[in-house]
This record gives sequence, structure tokens and C-alpha cells, in this order.
Amino acid sequence: MSDHRPEPAARLSGLTKRWLGFQLGPLDLVLEPGTVLALVGPNGAGKTTTLNCMAGLIVPDEGGTEVFGAPVHPSRTEYRRDVGYVGEESGFFQRWTARRNLEFLAKSLPGWSNDRASRLGERFGLPLDKPVSKLSRGNKTKLALVAALAHGPRLLLLDEPTSGLDPVVRSEVLDVLWEITEDGEHAVLYSTHVLSDINRLADELAFLRDGQLVLRCGRDELSERWRRVSFRLHDEDVELAGVVEQRRVRAEHQVITKDAETTLHQLTELGAEAVEVSRMSVDEIAVQILKEGHHVARAQG
Amino acid sequence: MWHALKAELAYFWPWLLGGLGIAAFVMALLSVLVRFLEDGDGPPSFVIAIFPIIAGMVVAFIAQGYRAEERRSRMLLAGPLTPRQLAGVTVLLPVCFCGLGALATVPMIWLATLITGKFEPSALSVIAGFACQFWAYAQLGPLAQESTAARRQQRSTATIAGWAVFVGAILVLAASQFFMHSIYGYIGVAVAALAAMGVAAALYLRRSDFSR
Repeated sequence: MSDHRPEPAARLSGLTKRWLGFQLGPLDLVLEPGTVLALVGPNGAGKTTTLNCMAGLIVPDEGGTEVFGAPVHPSRTEYRRDVGYVGEESGFFQRWTARRNLEFLAKSLPGWSNDRASRLGERFGLPLDKPVSKLSRGNKTKLALVAALAHGPRLLLLDEPTSGLDPVVRSEVLDVLWEITEDGEHAVLYSTHVLSDINRLADELAFLRDGQLVLRCGRDELSERWRRVSFRLHDEDVELAGVVEQRRVRAEHQVITKDAETTLHQLTELGAEAVEVSRMSVDEIAVQILKEGHHVARAQG
Repeated sequence: MWHALKAELAYFWPWLLGGLGIAAFVMALLSVLVRFLEDGDGPPSFVIAIFPIIAGMVVAFIAQGYRAEERRSRMLLAGPLTPRQLAGVTVLLPVCFCGLGALATVPMIWLATLITGKFEPSALSVIAGFACQFWAYAQLGPLAQESTAARRQQRSTATIAGWAVFVGAILVLAASQFFMHSIYGYIGVAVAALAAMGVAAALYLRRSDFSR
């Protein structure tokens, strides 16, 4: 019996790109179909460069990317059928209407479905007869999403798709993304620093800092493992496993741990009193990881 | 590639029409002024022909600026186009705009002939000379842009090669001015323009960043 596993939606192998004073990677990352992975990091962490490399807009210095087994490179076209990319700029003809831009793309992109484009346009309430230059930021993002989705790609790369959008438009965009990924066949990699989006969409999170992947793990796993713990212990120099932040006022300790089980077990052994454990939101954990910058060993599944 | 080139031409068509409209207005004004106010024979044909050719060159520069600003390569690389084809679009656009400007000289000269009642067939070679020179200037735009991109992407050899060809092309163009009465002048201009085209296309192909 053959062990037939589907091709990963995207595979980054030692992806490295150097700019003056900055190095992205080497990044190793596998994205399975049906996964929504949020790439989280502060400005300048390398999120956009990673996505540009995956979209074939930037040639890496070392390593590379495959999309459903097809190598990604600007000079190759096989992978493009499977990729929909929404970046900060989409390259539209700004003085043409949204409709005319979509008509141009319809003739350029294999697999384009006018029906799908119209449905998405209607769903978003996109003013198709307005010039792109006159569209609001939200509508430009919607147009970019329609353009990225109308040829039915299996991998969506989204570079901060909800950044700068008002809450209503953001919610609409997230709704559509959620519907697209519901079938389990599409993979989505999106970069964001709007942390509230994470809870809504992401299955997994990858944290980038200074061009390096510091942590990748499932959203639920993250929620399960991270805790805020307060306790009373008279030992001043207590060192607890898994603790990333610690505060102490006399005998009162307050810690944040990335491994609640181990920390609590250790506290029991040390005889800590008045132990109180509280859950942390994914947003808080993300902020903690990025703020503290502690290099957590990768917990890739 | 032709689909993208056609789309770019259609997109910048209003600019070209505007430029040609201005050229026609200037030409008509000049013809009337010279013919009736100064009671002369009207401006020479080659003077009339310069304006639409300049309009073509200016639109080529405008198109280059807008394409860069609108990050067109991002859109075109999402489709089936390769960098080779995109390089083709980039260097062929100035050819198209200057060519269309040169074509527009025909009705302009016809119109000027109507106003002034005078036509000089001998001026055609001078017009061809101007057309070639302005086309060569227009081709220097993409070359400068790609040399700058190479510098930004820290490709030092490409940067040096790009700017060396840019300076070389300008020197050849300057030297050609002294030989425009002979075939050598035309050859010099054509060599400068083709070198600028070729090197701009080669630099584009070797880009490591197509995101801007």
C-alpha cells in the first residue's frame, strides 16, 4: 500500500533573503492544505519579504519555496495558477475602473471565473464602475481580494489584508476569508499586526522577529500552555521553568508562563501558597512573545 | 506580452491624445503666425514635425513613471507573464509612443501644408533624424530606471554596467549630432537607442525584486 500524502500547499526550505543590515531566514516552514497560518511580527520583521518571496516577486538569495510541489520563481509560471496574492499594492491601472481592471485580468489569468468575480464583487458591494484611484482603502482591498480569488487559487497569501480598514469592512473581509477556508482545501498565509484578527481566522501562528521564526504553534495549543500565575512564596530567588516574565513584591509573585503545567507542578513542589491561575488571550500571548523576544524553541507540529 | 502591451497603450492613450492635441495646437498657431502675421512661407515641415514626436517621447516618460508608481509588475507577474515578457513591454512602450508620435507628423504636415500652401519633401530625412533622436532619449528612461533598481538591490556589477551604457549612449548621441547629415549620424543614434533597450531589458531580467 502506498503512503500517498497530498503535496503541502507551501514549503519554504532554508529561505534566505539579505538586505542591507537585515537578513530574513533561513526559514523552514510547511503549510498544509486547509491551514490558516497567521504570520505575526512587528514592523520590519520580514513578513512582507516572506510573502513576496512566496509569491515569486522577490528572488531569495538562498533556499526557496514550493507551492503544491511547483517551485516558485519569477521566471516560472506553473505555480501562479495556485496562488492568490493580496499585497500592500496590487499594481492595478489606477485610472481604469475596477471593472476594467478585472476584465483585463480575466483575459490574463488562466482559470479566471467571471461568475466567481461577479459573486465576490456583489458580496463585497464593490463599486465596479469607479476608477481604482477613487476607491477607498477598504474597497481597494476588496478589489484586490476579488482579483486574487477569481482564478480559484488553492493558496492565498495576504499581506496585512485588514490593516487600515474600519471594523465593519474588516469584519466583511474576515467573513469572506473564513468562508473560503471553510472547505478545508484552501491554505491561507496572512501577515498581520492586527492581533484581534488572529482569534477569528488563524489555526496556527508563526511569530517572526528580526527575520527569524521564533515560534510556530497552534492557536489552541498556545492558549492551553500560556498562563498568568500569581502565588505567595517566601523564597526570593525562585527560578521557575517556562516562565517568561516575573514580578515580585515581597512574598507576592506574579509570573507569565509558556508552560503552565510544568510551572504549576514546580510550584506545588516548592510549597507555594495562594496560587491563582488565569488564562491569557491569544492577543496577550502574541504581544508577550513579540515584546519579550525570548527565543522559544520551535514547536512545529 | 502583446495583451499587456496593448493594455498599457490603451491606458496611456488619453495622455498621447492630449500631447498630440497640444502639438497640433502649437503647430496651427505657429503656422498661422508665421504665414499671416509675418507674411512668410510658414514654418518649415521639420519644425512642425518635432512637436508630435516630442509628445510621444514625453508620454513615454509619463508612462514609465506611472507604471513604476502603480507597481504594475506586481499585477502582471500574478498572471502568466514572465520577466522576459515584462522586460519586452517595458522597452517596447517608448518605441510605440515615439512611433505613434512620428506617425502623427503625417496629418500635421498635411494640415500645415493646407495652412501655408507649402510642402518640402526634403524635410522627411530631417524628420526621421529627429524621430530617431527622441526615441533614443525615451529609451534612456527605462535604462536609468533599471540601473537605479540594480543599485537598490545591491547588484553592483549591474549598476556599473547600466550607468556606463547610459553615459556611453549620451556620448554617442552627442557625437551623432555632428553627423546627422550622413548615414553615420543615424547609425550612431540607432546604436545608442538599441544599446539602451538591450541593457535595460537585460537588467530587468536579472532583477531580484519585482515587488516595486
